[in-house]
Amino acid sequence: MTLAISLPQAGLRRYGSLLSPLAWVALAVAAAVVLLSLFAPVLAPYDPDYVDLNNVLAGPGAQHLLGTDALGRDLFSRLMHGGRTSLLGPTIVVIGSTVLGLLLGLVAGWSEGWLGKVLGRVFDLLFAFPALLMAMLAIALFGKGLFAPILAMTIAYVPYVARLAQSLVVAERSRPYVQAYRVLGFRTPWVVLGRVLPNLIPTVGAQSTLNFGYVLADLAALSFIGLGVQPPTSDWGAMIEESRGALLGGYILPAFWPALVVVLVVVAVNVIGEELSDRIGGKLS
Amino acid sequence: MSQLLKIEDFTLGFADRPPLLDSVSLHVNDGEAVALVGESGSGKSLTTRAALGLFPGGSEFSGTVSVQGLNTLTASKQRLMELRRGHASMIFQDPRAGINPVRTVGDFLTETLLRFHGLSRAEATERAVKQLEQVGLRRAKELMDQHPHQLSGGMLQRVMIAAALLNSPDLLLCDEPTTALDVTTQAGIVRLLREEQQSRGMGMLFITHDLNLAASLCERVYVLRRGTVVEHGPTRNVFQTPQQDYTRQLVEATPVIDVADVDAPAAVGAPLLEVSGVSKTYQLPRGEVITALDNAGFSLPEGGSLGVVGESGSGKSTLARLVVALETATTGELSLRGVPRPHRTLKAAERKVLAKDVQIVFQDPYLSLDPRIPVGNAVADVFRLHQRQGRKQARASAAELLGKVGIGPERFDARPRALSGGQRQRVALAKALAARPRLLVLDEATSALDVSVQAQVLELVEELRDQFGLTILFVTHDLAVVSRLCSEILVMHQGRIVEQGPTARILEDPGDDYTKNLIASRPRPLWDAEPVIA
Repeated sequence: MTLAISLPQAGLRRYGSLLSPLAWVALAVAAAVVLLSLFAPVLAPYDPDYVDLNNVLAGPGAQHLLGTDALGRDLFSRLMHGGRTSLLGPTIVVIGSTVLGLLLGLVAGWSEGWLGKVLGRVFDLLFAFPALLMAMLAIALFGKGLFAPILAMTIAYVPYVARLAQSLVVAERSRPYVQAYRVLGFRTPWVVLGRVLPNLIPTVGAQSTLNFGYVLADLAALSFIGLGVQPPTSDWGAMIEESRGALLGGYILPAFWPALVVVLVVVAVNVIGEELSDRIGGKLS
Repeated sequence: MSQLLKIEDFTLGFADRPPLLDSVSLHVNDGEAVALVGESGSGKSLTTRAALGLFPGGSEFSGTVSVQGLNTLTASKQRLMELRRGHASMIFQDPRAGINPVRTVGDFLTETLLRFHGLSRAEATERAVKQLEQVGLRRAKELMDQHPHQLSGGMLQRVMIAAALLNSPDLLLCDEPTTALDVTTQAGIVRLLREEQQSRGMGMLFITHDLNLAASLCERVYVLRRGTVVEHGPTRNVFQTPQQDYTRQLVEATPVIDVADVDAPAAVGAPLLEVSGVSKTYQLPRGEVITALDNAGFSLPEGGSLGVVGESGSGKSTLARLVVALETATTGELSLRGVPRPHRTLKAAERKVLAKDVQIVFQDPYLSLDPRIPVGNAVADVFRLHQRQGRKQARASAAELLGKVGIGPERFDARPRALSGGQRQRVALAKALAARPRLLVLDEATSALDVSVQAQVLELVEELRDQFGLTILFVTHDLAVVSRLCSEILVMHQGRIVEQGPTARILEDPGDDYTKNLIASRPRPLWDAEPVIA
């Protein structure tokens, strides 16, 4: 990755009207999924955990929009409620890793001495551990559920943000405008947090958006192998796992819908992230 | 004499926008050197590229551009390729951008000969070596095995010229080929181009923003402004008796050394800045030690103006950065108002105190302002920090100061990218002045600007100096700019101060060989009897 990433001359203002049609579609998909999940308790036609054994593995129809699963639970309602946990995890991870990564990256980029070098090596070390492996280690330590993987993923995604922030800060630090602030006598914390940090946010934000998609897929995978969200809570990954039996019986839909949603959201988020990074002019990983 | 390059009524632009070039007509005869002069954005590069059949993607154009009768607007790719391989060559501003950094100079030079001219490797090598020798490069054989990063900018530009001459072109297009080079290096390149052009009887179209340079090289000149040729004719006529207002302004704005015009007041005050025995060395990772500044000593009185002149690597910027405490001296004493500077990184409080004594304006107007902060706020921030003003008062002060540097209230909330280069430098000046410093360091502060804008900014600096009673330390490569603004000059070369003294004395009677060379390297018009000195 090239470390010389030029920062935007203006904030995100000018991008609004310039999104490509594909990005608009992606944005619409993402927004629809978020809204449906957010308002699931109000909008969902059924209780997601209501078992109706008289109506198992029903196909899509007027009564059940997307059909039902092996326990007769309404798939559409489960998808909507599942989005709440499936999207919450990545959101926490992305916010956590962005904040931590930005802070560590700022410190690493600004300090010229040993601290910057040590932090740089720590980031390298963290890169060496795949996020899923870290998550499984954390689950082994703290037990199944959402907490452990979220914690582990947050740590695993910190270096992606921190490395980027570090390289940006190193580039910014030598810019004349930052030097002018120093000569003008402004205090370093004010310059770094008040002036340099906001200039990094568009680029780092684009990276974090891309991370969201990866984290969503990783967490869904964890739930699928039974280490993440535990039944009966609805979660997209867990839904796919629960549908394995039905899948073997020839009923594809209960596994198909959550898989489709995961793919749609990951692709949409990636499209948005790429669009943002393209607009900013940097080439992210 | 036949017309080698003929451009007639050439218009180029994008749909729904004003044209970038508006019916440009010009011609270059066989064996003639013609200059195309204009400021940035005037369309000089676009015009030249069209001669090779290169147009920006999606552009629409009309008119004719023909080289040796071949219309490049309509010619097939094949014909254009033949034109570029055998009849017309181009030299660009940045030699490093035009050469593959991982391949040797020899590979670069022989590639076309081997692939398109059917020469054997031995023949091609021989011809390339001969060509390198001809452009004044010594040890040409060894050079063939070297990589671009091992060569200086001036040497590399000679390599590019050699490459352009290899296929014995009839037409040589030069796009600001010396702009990135030092003055003394430029003099050599210009002499070489003139010699080659004369001895080969080539036609040459030389693009430049520098009128002096055009005059030193070309018999005829076209002046381009916003895509239109405003004036053309023999260089001497155009420069000495310009017909158009724009040309007249351009001629007037072009800095010249005029000893009689050194009107900067001689300073009489007590010493404000005293530098004695200051050196700055850098330790490279491999253990090498680089001496950026070697035993510098001078004194600048209150109200004085000192020009620090030198080429790249002379240590002039290091000196400027030391004065504003962006660097710490390795040895030696530096004191401001009699207060010695500690040999360590300054604490925040010390920096704030220092800020009221000395400020700096940097070279690049595009990087020296925070891209996100509206210019009014940028200046107001300084008032709040240093004058302890409230938000409202600081805004009022900022607006007033911006007004003084020629930035109206309508620009108060503009971000830097909405401003031109000249306007940005004005804002940078206002920001520095808001701290009310006594000493203002200008680090090549006008070098990146067009000549007409440079003239305006220099005028502003003069005004502000009188108004604020500033002491000026002007760091630049341009003797002419310094002679206008500074009463004293200090010449630097390879980290050392080689000469210092009153401006008029140094310009008229330089004592040091390097200073003599520097003065002699300034481009002289062809009609000037004095020959160009090496």
